[in-house]
Amino acid sequence: MKKSFLIISIFLFAVCAFGQKKYELGNVTIDELKEKVHPNDTTAVAAILFKKGKTYFDLDFLNWTITTEVELKIKIYKKEGYVFADQQIQYYSGGNQVEVDYDNVATYNLVGDKIEKTKLKKDGKFTEEVNGSYSNKKITLPKVKEGSIIEYKYTIKTPNFITFDDWYFQYPIPANHVEYLVAMPDFFSYNTYIKGNLTIDKTIPDIPARKGKSFSEKRRLYSVDNVKAFKAEAYVNNIENYIPTLQMVLASANISEGVVKSYSTDWASVAKNIYDAESFGGEIKSTSYFQKDLDLLLQNVTSNDMKVNMIFNYVQAKMNWDRTNGYFSHVGVSKAYAEKVGNVAEINLMLIAMLRYAGIETNPVLVSTRSNGIALFPNPSAYNYVIAAVELVNDQLLLLDATTKSAVPNILPVEALNWKGRMIRKDGTSIEVDLMPKMSSKEITNVMASIEADGKIIGKTRQQYYDYNGYVFREHFLTLPKDKYLEEIEKMYKGIEIEEYSTANDIDLSKPLIENYNFTHNNIVENIGSKVYFSPMLYYARTENPFKDEEREFPIDFNYPHHDKHFFTISIPDGYEIESLPAPIALSMEENIGSFKYNISQAGRQIQLTTVFEINYSNVSPEFYDTIRDFYKKMIEKQNEKVVLKKV
Amino acid sequence: MKKLLLPLVILLLFAEVTIAQDIEYTVANIPAELKENANAVVRLDQKDIVIASRKSMVITTKSIVTVLNENGLQHMDLSEYFSARNRIKSIEVQIYNSFGKEIKKIKRKDFKENSVSEGSIITDNKLLYCDYTPTEYPFTVVFQSEIETSNTAFIPSWYPIHGFSVSVEKAIMNVQAPADLGFKYKEFNMLNNPAISKQEKAGGVSFTATNLVAYKQEDYSPSFNSYAPNVIMGLDAFNYEGLDGKATNWKEFGGWVYSNLLKGTDEIPQETQAKIKALVGDEKDPLKKARIIYKYVQDKTRYVSIQLGIGGWKPMMAKDVDRLGYGDCKALTNYTRALLEVVNVPSYYTVIYGNPQKRDFNQDFVSMEGNHAILAVPVDNKMYWLECTSQKMPFGFQGDFTDNRFALVIKPEGGEIIKTQEYQPQDNTQISKGKYVIDEQGNIAGSILIKSKGTQYDSKFDYEDKSSDNLTKIYKSYFNNINNLKLKKINLQNNKEEVEFSEDITIEASEYAKPTGGRMIFAINAYNQISGVPQRYRQRNNPFEIIRGFYDYDEIIIDLPKGVTIEAKPENVELKGAFGEYKTELAVINENQLLYKRTYKTNPGYYDKKEYENFRKFREQIAKNDNAKIVLVKNQ
Repeated sequence: MKKSFLIISIFLFAVCAFGQKKYELGNVTIDELKEKVHPNDTTAVAAILFKKGKTYFDLDFLNWTITTEVELKIKIYKKEGYVFADQQIQYYSGGNQVEVDYDNVATYNLVGDKIEKTKLKKDGKFTEEVNGSYSNKKITLPKVKEGSIIEYKYTIKTPNFITFDDWYFQYPIPANHVEYLVAMPDFFSYNTYIKGNLTIDKTIPDIPARKGKSFSEKRRLYSVDNVKAFKAEAYVNNIENYIPTLQMVLASANISEGVVKSYSTDWASVAKNIYDAESFGGEIKSTSYFQKDLDLLLQNVTSNDMKVNMIFNYVQAKMNWDRTNGYFSHVGVSKAYAEKVGNVAEINLMLIAMLRYAGIETNPVLVSTRSNGIALFPNPSAYNYVIAAVELVNDQLLLLDATTKSAVPNILPVEALNWKGRMIRKDGTSIEVDLMPKMSSKEITNVMASIEADGKIIGKTRQQYYDYNGYVFREHFLTLPKDKYLEEIEKMYKGIEIEEYSTANDIDLSKPLIENYNFTHNNIVENIGSKVYFSPMLYYARTENPFKDEEREFPIDFNYPHHDKHFFTISIPDGYEIESLPAPIALSMEENIGSFKYNISQAGRQIQLTTVFEINYSNVSPEFYDTIRDFYKKMIEKQNEKVVLKKV
Repeated sequence: MKKLLLPLVILLLFAEVTIAQDIEYTVANIPAELKENANAVVRLDQKDIVIASRKSMVITTKSIVTVLNENGLQHMDLSEYFSARNRIKSIEVQIYNSFGKEIKKIKRKDFKENSVSEGSIITDNKLLYCDYTPTEYPFTVVFQSEIETSNTAFIPSWYPIHGFSVSVEKAIMNVQAPADLGFKYKEFNMLNNPAISKQEKAGGVSFTATNLVAYKQEDYSPSFNSYAPNVIMGLDAFNYEGLDGKATNWKEFGGWVYSNLLKGTDEIPQETQAKIKALVGDEKDPLKKARIIYKYVQDKTRYVSIQLGIGGWKPMMAKDVDRLGYGDCKALTNYTRALLEVVNVPSYYTVIYGNPQKRDFNQDFVSMEGNHAILAVPVDNKMYWLECTSQKMPFGFQGDFTDNRFALVIKPEGGEIIKTQEYQPQDNTQISKGKYVIDEQGNIAGSILIKSKGTQYDSKFDYEDKSSDNLTKIYKSYFNNINNLKLKKINLQNNKEEVEFSEDITIEASEYAKPTGGRMIFAINAYNQISGVPQRYRQRNNPFEIIRGFYDYDEIIIDLPKGVTIEAKPENVELKGAFGEYKTELAVINENQLLYKRTYKTNPGYYDKKEYENFRKFREQIAKNDNAKIVLVKNQ
């Protein structure tokens, strides 16, 4: 989706687009320097007065150079804004083909009633070699104070015309003017995509053609004014999905006399190109490295279900994920198999190869992980992950990912649960597949507790985690040392003390993970006067609404649908009787988003409570935010309602 | 086919040799007690340090670590730093499976390089490291390296056990130095430890530790070096980045630092001299002059980290800071010192350990240590400490980053170890006064004025620059016991003169005391609940420390709705003990108005692990009382 040759998030340009001096470097005014706060956002620590970028191509003896020039003028209002006075660009320095440079770097201050300009000298520029392949160019602007204006220009030259860096239109600080000019030779054709909620002006700029070039070019100017600061919200999948961005994807290039090379312009050809690559499709075809082992493994196995499970378990047990993503193999499946270590592609392509070898109809599915963002526009870097899909009868798919040790068929790591993937069949055709789980993951909890006269609660809990709940639990808690995870649980349920803790089905992934423990709790029951008050949901009563913001811009992400059921049986102490119980309730949200049911009754000296909390979607559009917030509010209130006991 | 044969033969021969020699790495040989609480076991960690001359030190490392599970990966360190004066002569890694069979060998050429700026603008330190993805657990990794450096000012300290959840079968440190360089060492927490032995020899020493069980990471643990065995080492005659130095006491060492690293760095351009002299004017009071200069530095400069060459200890020239308006802690401290000199106020460059978990300079052991610089300004027998990297700290305010610890104050005539300012609990106050109203529907509305000083000021004074969104988040989290909270007003005031931060806040929230079954139940202490109780440990292993104390006082007037009767209310509580004092009082002013007073003071201290359960109980009682409820019933 982004970042290939240049790891850099910001790009701009020059060109006197409107003949306005306002958007040129070196035209700082006294009024600008005097400005104390941003007129539209008084809390802004700094603001981009303008950011202009341009990208153009040059041809020199059949070699293309793509140049991007960016000019920035930034106003610093507060000391927190000083971070904008230190800039860096990381770039691919292997092969010495990419050049990065800063110039026109200066700080402007108001001294008395005069403008003082301090230029950056050599000692404020640094080049840092990160490793063999990447370097950083850094600048540190001099004499920066509250009120300063800083200006700089940077230029990036690269021969790589295949991947274009993304251009952002919104930043963590307000931006008064952002524009980006792209001048594209007719030799190249790019598809352009703009995502996000901003309206970006797109025009054909009326400027004279550049001189001395041997080709004609198409020019586009993208601009937007008065962009407010971008703010992150909690419970969002990946905030980058929502930043207004321009993406350019190469469609075709006329690289030499009359030869036009086509690049991926739609999802189908993106997928096909990936499939045709040796380090993808080639790896699926190769079988010799595992044949002997697999023949032995599948001896006498006839059922396809058995084969799928055995092969999945075999790869999952044998292979160790090196924690790197990617849909292309790195060292190759055969070497990975021998060394028992591989990246995602090696592990899952190997799995596909084995399943196909065993006669199971299996295909790769390209995925973009959550941190990579949602794959919106067709281009090869939209994806960064690959899983396997077994085609079942009646068009159902069984999704497999053997990288993590507690996954089972149809349970994927949460990182891979990101909207849609693309499945590629043997003939190179591909279709979109939904990755989001539809099935609800259950959690069932039984608590038997008794309240003692001094307010202490002692009890036993048995909690069962199914499907995704089981997966997440195993991946998180079971990798911690036992003591440590007990401490984590005790932190989660503040005030509880756990004894005789055990888990079952740690390794048997076909069964729910079960936790059993005894607990005591000193901090739930309140003795006030002659009465006793407590929430019958005990330590499971949530106290805080996770949705605190009053408004919401982005979708609410629940990861997967879930269904939590709790049964409580609570004995009351001798010498007390029940004065009142909370009323039963059933709450539900529109569009079947979710529900909460609370059923309580008295049976002799016991209180019995059953609660069911359901969320039926993996994610929900922000238009339902008020509904969800209100639902949580009511649910939490109910969970905190008290049983009242009185002395007999 | 022919081609294939040769490597195969070599491989076979090789495999045979390793099996014979590495049988000792099998996991089966690890004593059971070393596996307890451990994610990794150091089978052998041997460092041989040979100092050939003042300018040459060779460190040979062989470490064999058995990693028991994924969490143990952090205990295999497969890297070395290098720079112009720090050369890696050799480095290699072998991996063995649990039966002691070699499964992988990583040669120097397979190591990767990375620069280690860690937030610095620039540095010339680099790291040579290798990645290894385990294919099975447990496994054993053998790391061997040889480093040669001309910097003999820093001899690595010896921590036979270097962290939590790792045990040690054997750790050895051998140091050898020419007698005339004055090798010295100091041991900590090793007295009467039968597992550690020492052998002194001419110009050197050897330590051996065997079978040390793992430490557990536990909350409130003091800094690791205060209870784990360790040895610090140094030379009287050393070399630092090409400079020879000699010091047997802090006075000499400070003198060396002054004449080699500070002297001649303090030139201030005429123009700036004139400017600050004009700013100071006729002011005679050195304290007032220092305040003026400090403000000048705060307005003019910003902090950036620059770690180049001698820059590790030598500050950038004051005239460069003057021209550029930025610098690191050394540069800004030295610049402030130079400016004060211009207006005839003496001040001293000071080296310190900056960290909220405080750490002292050793009073009786001279070596190059510390990670931060501040400025000491003596006025009338009192030392004022200036943090020159902050554009916001009030004059002379230290906060928890540099408070109450021994630091090296460098005077032209020599160095001196001096303790920085200590904040007593009664210095770190938070005084809250306010009121709230509960209406018939159980909604709450109220206002509160919170005034903070000392370390409580330290944790808040940057609020004034936060965006309103961030402030909303901060207060929603501060008042997280009140659901549906709406902040109606947030008025903040930072009084830098008095070093006092005021928060004037108005809130409301629906259904704080929602009536159910004819009753309203709510926590009286709506504004300052401390609900956290220290983590329980089945078996506490480490001592614990409360680094700083504080004092909170709350006084809240509560208006009740009309037509209710108090059915029950929290009793007044008073707790007193070693860990602090806690007192609450609830007085009925009239049938609709209550007055709630709460005092909570905690004491700093370093305690034995046996006391931990008492500390927990103390905090548990406070958490419970802070959440104590009042019950109102509607009048019939």
